[in-house]
Amino acid sequence: MAMTLWSLASTLGMPCRAQTADEKEAAALMADAKKSFSDGVTPFVKTYCAECHGSKKRKSGLNYLDALKNPSDPSTSRKWKQALANVKAHDMPPDDADNQPTEEERQKFLDLIGKIKFFSPKDPGPFVIRRLTKVEYGNTLHDLFGVDPSIANELPDEVSGEGYLNTLSPLQSEQYLGIANEVLDRVLAPKDAPSELQKRLFGATPAAGSDPRLTARNVAQSLARSTYRRPPTETEIQVLLKVFDLAVKNKLAYPAALRLMLKAILVSPQFLFITPAKEPEAGKAIVPLDDHQLASRLSYLLWATMPDAELSALADSGKLHEPAALKVQVKRLLSDSRSRALFDGFGAQWLGLGDIQDKVFDTAKFPQMTREMRSAMYDEARLFFDSIVRENRSVVSFVDSDYTFLNGTLASLYGLEKTVTGPDMRKVKLKDTNRGGILGMPGILATTSFPNRTSAVKRGVWVLEQVLGDHVPPAPPNVPALEKQDQKKVANLTLRQRTELHRTNAVCANCHKILDPIGFGLENFDAIGRWRDQDDTGGAIDAAGELPGGKHFSTPKELKVIIAGRKTDLARNLTEKFLAYALCRQLEGYDEIVVDHLMESIAKDGYKMQTLIAEILTSYPFLNHRIQ
Amino acid sequence: MSNNILIDRRTCLRGLGASLALPLLETMGWADAIKGKAVKPPVRLGFMYMPHGVIMDQFWPATPESFLSAPPAALEALRPVLNQCLLVKGISGTPIAPFNGAPHALELSTWLTAQLPDADTRNRINIAISADQIMANYVGGLTSLPSLELATMPQTHKENQEGLNEGYYSHCSFRSATQAVPAETNPRSVLNRLFGKSDKPGNTAQTGPLDRQMLDLVIDGAKDLRRKLPQNDQHKLDEYLDSVRAVERRISAIEYRQKEAALEKAGVSTSKRNASDSPPIEIKIPIGDKRSEYMQVMCDLNVLAFQTDTTRVSTYIGSTPNGVSYPELGFKDEHHSQTHHNNRPEQVAKVAAITKFNIDQFAYMVKKMASLREGEGTLLDNCIMMWGSGLEDGNKHGRENLPFIIAGKGGGSINTGRFIDSVKGNQGDLLTTLLACSGVPLDRPIGIATKQITEMMKI
Repeated sequence: MAMTLWSLASTLGMPCRAQTADEKEAAALMADAKKSFSDGVTPFVKTYCAECHGSKKRKSGLNYLDALKNPSDPSTSRKWKQALANVKAHDMPPDDADNQPTEEERQKFLDLIGKIKFFSPKDPGPFVIRRLTKVEYGNTLHDLFGVDPSIANELPDEVSGEGYLNTLSPLQSEQYLGIANEVLDRVLAPKDAPSELQKRLFGATPAAGSDPRLTARNVAQSLARSTYRRPPTETEIQVLLKVFDLAVKNKLAYPAALRLMLKAILVSPQFLFITPAKEPEAGKAIVPLDDHQLASRLSYLLWATMPDAELSALADSGKLHEPAALKVQVKRLLSDSRSRALFDGFGAQWLGLGDIQDKVFDTAKFPQMTREMRSAMYDEARLFFDSIVRENRSVVSFVDSDYTFLNGTLASLYGLEKTVTGPDMRKVKLKDTNRGGILGMPGILATTSFPNRTSAVKRGVWVLEQVLGDHVPPAPPNVPALEKQDQKKVANLTLRQRTELHRTNAVCANCHKILDPIGFGLENFDAIGRWRDQDDTGGAIDAAGELPGGKHFSTPKELKVIIAGRKTDLARNLTEKFLAYALCRQLEGYDEIVVDHLMESIAKDGYKMQTLIAEILTSYPFLNHRIQ
Repeated sequence: MSNNILIDRRTCLRGLGASLALPLLETMGWADAIKGKAVKPPVRLGFMYMPHGVIMDQFWPATPESFLSAPPAALEALRPVLNQCLLVKGISGTPIAPFNGAPHALELSTWLTAQLPDADTRNRINIAISADQIMANYVGGLTSLPSLELATMPQTHKENQEGLNEGYYSHCSFRSATQAVPAETNPRSVLNRLFGKSDKPGNTAQTGPLDRQMLDLVIDGAKDLRRKLPQNDQHKLDEYLDSVRAVERRISAIEYRQKEAALEKAGVSTSKRNASDSPPIEIKIPIGDKRSEYMQVMCDLNVLAFQTDTTRVSTYIGSTPNGVSYPELGFKDEHHSQTHHNNRPEQVAKVAAITKFNIDQFAYMVKKMASLREGEGTLLDNCIMMWGSGLEDGNKHGRENLPFIIAGKGGGSINTGRFIDSVKGNQGDLLTTLLACSGVPLDRPIGIATKQITEMMKI
């Protein structure tokens, strides 16, 4: 049964024509993966997993016998990821199971699971029409009409994770209508003295005796081209002319009729969504994005606003999708100040700083956490991120750098308040090698802490998942938090010693022996990122630890060197996270192969940030989409 | 600048959108007063949520007998209306397997669905239509707003334990399996939405005279676009079409109301309100950032929306599971961290204080409803207001005896003034019962429901 499903999948993936070299290689890899899967994974699962995660018992709702039947299905891939994380951490099989795999078997299983990606047929994934986010919508109105982007402020905030955007509510549509009115009120003169912008939008009033509908048609054509960010279709022009006719029938003057037409544009899906310029070719499952769609995708990704004249012109000429032209545009967009959007949209989310203004701190203990301080923390990370992108540095510099950006407020956390003063952020060279890079950055140290104390566990998980891209299995249910420990017993222990109590429990030990040392290595930084030599109990900080593979460190700076040494992991993690952000979806199956290819070209160029971005934005899934 | 907005009866009747009567209403009996018939006001259903459960022995009454005479401390603020309340112990939550963790995303997202997110597509929203939206589908067409969704905190929490979509951490209303309904957090926007009324000086009307017909044309255009799109895109566009149609309908409601007001001006009374009904309540938007004042204005808006029959369904996410603290109570600890109290008295006391704070706001709302005359009784008589949490106890994440308070008689369908201490049922049964009491016929049970809880009903 299993084999039939696989062969079916591979048949579908292969077009009926001569295979290219790539396709031959893919087919060979797929065949190899299938063989090693049935030789290696299947027996492992049957021996060590199926008793609890099979068809009879399915603990935690996981049935791996089922998963074996259709290993590359997206819904099963999550199960394999979980298996990978748990088996890797020695969490599974549980210590009390009779049957334990040897280390060799365990490693072989982990390696083989990694091959599941080769089962997936070549697939760019869907790119469903997407509504502009609140920020994009405000910026687009600004670019079109010169209004302040804050005009969109009343729209609800949205969570924009990997592709998720709130459902459009009736309230929001009403707000779009209200904002459209507001925009028109601001930019259109009430009576006979049209503003410059109005002249540009509406052109001249038709001369007496001419047909106003013909002139209106031209206006509709030009307004729709700019607001829909692509050439409008004839049907779309007809809809706008019907609105014009409605106005005229109700005895509105020519400018008022155009105003109603423009209002209709501003509440149309073609304006509020990124829509394709052309109908897809019939019968094709996978098609390239048209150049206008691509221009919008690129511009909203890097600038959070509509394509500018140069991008639009390139799209009109049909040349944008050519990799050379596209790479030039990516670099041009990145060097423009609007690319700050990349940090606000992606960087802040990646580094966990998006919510720093709202995070709760114990302000009795940390009165320093004022609004200004939080803004400075955010800006430090933003300017640092921007410098790596703009100066095209290696991704390693995220972890290991000798400079940062400070103002007087933030400098106090670095003990540099004497040399850096005033409210303006500026580049500062750092002498202290414990600092420099995201691991020693106050904003990040603060968001990975509790309101009143540090958390070695949170910081450890953060470094593993956000920086190195490891998958940390979730804590088992019903774990007691540190606060629940017997207070008398722990009264004289440092936070590190208390945290280490976790590891006396076998259930916890497997994961925590990987997580905690990283967090301990950062214990010299308190919950808002100040250096300290003693923790809250007065006990001396012990920042020494060891990572798997016997790598020792005794200070944050040595930990930093070890993490910075994991170049491939750093780059791959960032590539995966940015690809997911660019595609607005989670990565699945075939994407892993895409990332493998990307890693080769990114590594060749020394993991430079602009290269990483440009490679991702010229990759197969960014330029194509599946429509069936 | 004054932050007081008085919506008086005249203003309401002047066609600002308040007490909008749609033509359909005329046939539903609610507007028959003018014909001299007895009025049977509609039943309204409201939900208010608090995460993390309660301190059980401070929430449940000691015995059914002591419920009215010696209610537990948590319910103190409800004392004046206890005989219009119903407490039911023994309602279990939706079991969370195959999920291991993410208890707080699940307590919220299952709260009105009684169903788990689909495990295989957990990174997207894929759950089930929620009870409030089922009701909105049935009665929403009779009012200018199908339903009202409110929240105290913005719905922007970013977390995905167990790979669950972030939306599950802040949403409990779902228009369909795949559409989470966003909630409004800004009282000014709510006011604007309910009554097309703004407190900004010089603000012009939200809609122009030709907007409805213009939207008609836009909708037609969108349908053309839809036909040319691949199927996935079509679904996305349906969301847009739904939303714009609702706006169009609201504008027709306002237009209808304007005609009615003109008739009234000409001496032909058409108001569906009774002479004996209380005038619409006053809304004060607080200036500071005191949580209680903020929550009370949201409660006021909810009361006003029900009182003016602008909607019959509301859901208020009074608090969300993550990162919420209550500085007003004199401590800064986050709600969540305190609920893992391990029976330490200091933390237990804080959880109890937070619970009481939330119930106090609910009590504020239902007491206001009880003070408003409507028809033969009060507004509360015609409402079913449910306050509750998605966990029994945040310490152990228990889900066996979910805490719920029902206030209001539901137009005589709910048997109130009682504490029933041993009901056997689940969250789905409870929701199914409340919809039945609201007069909503169901073609299938909600989520894991198997029955109606007849003990709660007045039969």
